[in-house]
Amino acid sequence: MARHSSAGYNSLVSLSSQTARVKVLFFGRLKEIVGQAEDSVELPDGAPIEALFSHYGASHPELARFRASLVASRNQEFAAWSTPLHSGDEVAFLPPVSGG
Amino acid sequence: MRLSMTKSSQPDLLALVRDPIDQAALIGHVRAAEDGAVVTFDGCVRNHSHGRRTLYLDYEAYESMALAKIREIAQQIHEKFAIHQVAIAHRLGRLEIGETSVFIAVSSAHRPAAFDACRFAIDTLKRTVPIWKKEYFEDGAVWADGEKPPAPLETRTAKPAS
Repeated sequence: MARHSSAGYNSLVSLSSQTARVKVLFFGRLKEIVGQAEDSVELPDGAPIEALFSHYGASHPELARFRASLVASRNQEFAAWSTPLHSGDEVAFLPPVSGG
Repeated sequence: MRLSMTKSSQPDLLALVRDPIDQAALIGHVRAAEDGAVVTFDGCVRNHSHGRRTLYLDYEAYESMALAKIREIAQQIHEKFAIHQVAIAHRLGRLEIGETSVFIAVSSAHRPAAFDACRFAIDTLKRTVPIWKKEYFEDGAVWADGEKPPAPLETRTAKPAS
């Protein structure tokens, strides 16, 4: 059974515990800020979506400014920031939607 | 001859498209002998936004999730309203002024259900379907102000404010 990593949430580096590889998608202005539509990241198994966002926020400070207006999704469902991630998950950071 | 009240088993038509939306096809899809009403919503590209002249729009979507969310809307309106069928198409890519970006057609035996369901469908789509539009003006471009979709409640206990 996978155990939650004891690594800090801001760290994506895991020395001892199991890791998970997740696919990350960016849309709209987030895609422009990060400079890519898609990424693949390894993080401690069970790390929350928040940790993944912090990872990108650290390298793209402008991204962090949008945190309050964003919603995250995991496997095509809106997900809480505390949702734990596991290998094969697809996470997306979604700006306010403006279809129609 | 006995009138059959069996509703057609044809599924709802739900799509993301890159070419112009064929409105007549969507209306034809939902309309059947047992229907007394078809209500449609035609969302089209306006030539102005916040007092500026819009040149064109560019739509992008998280396609797999957008389709899943559109399917959820169809399912919801079947549960909430006495409708027969629904067709929803949203267009992606560059759209010129006057073009249709989203088209919804709902059929029902009696008109109130189709009106209510069509209104619910477009209002919900604008809140929950991951699609974004960028507005292009003569002097630049901006991502349109949107709505933050309803997020699930956080399960982790919030840290004390101190």
